[in-house]
Amino acid sequence: MLNTFTKSTLAATSLLAVTASFAAADGHGGPYAEYAGTTLVVNFPAHPHYDAVMQILPEFTKETGIEVEVDQLPYLKMRERQTLELAQDEGEYDLIGYVVFSKADYVYADQLENLAKYFMNPKLSDPNYDADDLIDGYVYNIGFAGGDRGYLSGKTGSLFGLPYGSETSVLGYRKDIFEKHGLEVPETYEEMLALACKIPELEPGMGGLSSRAASGHHAAHAFLLHLNPLGGAIFDESWNPVMNNAEGVAAAEALKTIVDCGPEGASTFGFGEALGAFLNGDTAMFLDTTIVAGQIDNPSKSKVVGKVGWALHPMGTERASQTGGFGIGIPANAENKDAAFLLMQWLTSKKGDKMVAMAGGNPSRFSTHADAEVNAKFPHMATFGEALKHADPDWRPIIPVWGKVNADLGTTLSKVLTEDLDIQEALDGVAERARGVMEEAGYYTWK
Amino acid sequence: MTSQFFNRMTPYMFMAPAGIIMAIALIYPLGYMMYGSLLDWNPSQSIGEAEFVGLKNYVTLWFDPAFRESLGVTLTFAFFVVVAEMLIGVGLALLLDRNIRGMSVLRTLFILPMMIAPVVVGLMWRYMYHPSIGIFNRFLDKVGLEKVDWLGQNALMSVILADIWQWTPFIFILSLAALQSLPQSAIEASRIDGATPWQQIVYIKLPMMLPILIVTALLRLIDAFKVLEVILVMTEGGPGLSTEILALRISRTATEFRELGVAAAMSNYLLMLLMILTVSMFAFTRWQERRANRLAAAIQEDE
Repeated sequence: MLNTFTKSTLAATSLLAVTASFAAADGHGGPYAEYAGTTLVVNFPAHPHYDAVMQILPEFTKETGIEVEVDQLPYLKMRERQTLELAQDEGEYDLIGYVVFSKADYVYADQLENLAKYFMNPKLSDPNYDADDLIDGYVYNIGFAGGDRGYLSGKTGSLFGLPYGSETSVLGYRKDIFEKHGLEVPETYEEMLALACKIPELEPGMGGLSSRAASGHHAAHAFLLHLNPLGGAIFDESWNPVMNNAEGVAAAEALKTIVDCGPEGASTFGFGEALGAFLNGDTAMFLDTTIVAGQIDNPSKSKVVGKVGWALHPMGTERASQTGGFGIGIPANAENKDAAFLLMQWLTSKKGDKMVAMAGGNPSRFSTHADAEVNAKFPHMATFGEALKHADPDWRPIIPVWGKVNADLGTTLSKVLTEDLDIQEALDGVAERARGVMEEAGYYTWK
Repeated sequence: MTSQFFNRMTPYMFMAPAGIIMAIALIYPLGYMMYGSLLDWNPSQSIGEAEFVGLKNYVTLWFDPAFRESLGVTLTFAFFVVVAEMLIGVGLALLLDRNIRGMSVLRTLFILPMMIAPVVVGLMWRYMYHPSIGIFNRFLDKVGLEKVDWLGQNALMSVILADIWQWTPFIFILSLAALQSLPQSAIEASRIDGATPWQQIVYIKLPMMLPILIVTALLRLIDAFKVLEVILVMTEGGPGLSTEILALRISRTATEFRELGVAAAMSNYLLMLLMILTVSMFAFTRWQERRANRLAAAIQEDE
């Protein structure tokens, strides 16, 4: 019995050795040679971008000899799993895809590797990486921590992750409907809101703009989409809640107008329903994340293939589009950190970024957005690249207590949309409760 | 001495496995939760790193309007769901307690909803309630009635309806089993004495089924307080907090707000509430039994 075991172990070991030496002989020399044969366990969200990543991972293994085992989970489930996993002494994951608001929690709990030592290591760091080409807004929003306000860029900050599967907001509109009625693509909020309510009159049965509005993070997200362009913010420089000032009220009014002039039942739409309504041809406009472009052009999911044009997120008092989505980072308790860094660097390199874009993912580099081949396959990419220049890294406060403030904002706005609660009164309530949360979390200690 | 000692210990030794399993599976997690509820604890910390805050979480919750609203929603939901399910379930059982052809097929059909995974039930109802493509609104539209905003203006009622659809079969199947195990002699005797079918139900069947009905109602009540998946899928607690029952709020507090201590305190409040309900229901049954015994004794004395 023992003999059989020893034999099979020996056989497996020698097989591994042979594979590794073949890998080295196969051109996996250079920086990857030392890690050929390593198996990385990574945790990614179930998300269109990461579905595209799955298609390019075999290429990484072929090129480097490093195997990758992927555990893909719906993103809220993934977050729960990571929270448990990262708190262990020895973690299961070598690389994780994390949702943007997890940055605050993980960095604060010292659970993500600071990337400086990897980029300093000449054996690991690729000199042709060209970090300048990475989209600034995304890097500071998703990867950076410790700078201004604790979560933005700044002299005291450093890098803990890289944007991967990041998103910004754009306006999708039905070219056919706009042409039929001679409508102009809205440039400003005023024009967009006027159009949102005009379309149901021109096209009976069709909603103006489909937006998420369901209680909780859906409604809060929709509100945030309008808050920054209209000049508002959640907190001022001293962390005082200001979502209830005139700009905040204007953002909530914009959301209410959009929902009231939206498709039937819009007040309970989550992201899926809002997108579904647009894909189904029930609305003429859609203002949300860039990640939907792939589905809109997919005939098995969409009734509006070829009918959708893209434009920048309309301007309020300023241009400010969303920053969000996912980044990748190395857990502090990972087993194969160096190899994980190599994978991370490969995925976000110019080559990797273009490959994932061609497979239908969301690129993280300016050069990929401008790439002729990518644009030939996805004509909307140029507009998306333009939108990224206005992506606001301070789109929402990424602080540990944000989850609580966000949830309260979302449920209260839902009451505004469904129970006709007065907007000013509702936002005053949110501000007051947010102040309590911030007070308890120690944000006013230095006052 | 030794043999006497072993003799005395024997029953305890037999009980030991059950006792150990109880301690591991019940007492330990319960104690962990009780202790956790006294901490300011976020999920990125191990329990040892969390700060001890005493009863602060309980006090905060007591004055938290969102928690109170959620408690109100839970009580309303549980009350309507259990009352409606008991009425329909017992009613159906009384109707179907007879030899009809194809009865076994019918019974299987009746209990089908209970067998469907809650997430599927949630999704199914969510799409049936969909404002434009849902079957209910399409039907209303076809017969010329006004459409209903099911999951918007009437969310709690819609969620209650879905729960009634899914769980009435549970009451039905238990009531039917209770009905069929009733002693036929009492029913026959009442028939010979000239009781109408209605009188048989009110004076014979229902009182004899009562102990089982109480346990059934209690089981449903406990379950209704803990229902999560169906509501999570259908409304995510919205609009506002109108369908955010306690189980959902506990889950959101732990995952979204990352406050494990507060979530544990909330679970303890729920546990206390359920304990009060359970104990009072058992006390009521006990009181009824005693009353029945007293009456029986009085009748015997009279004779």
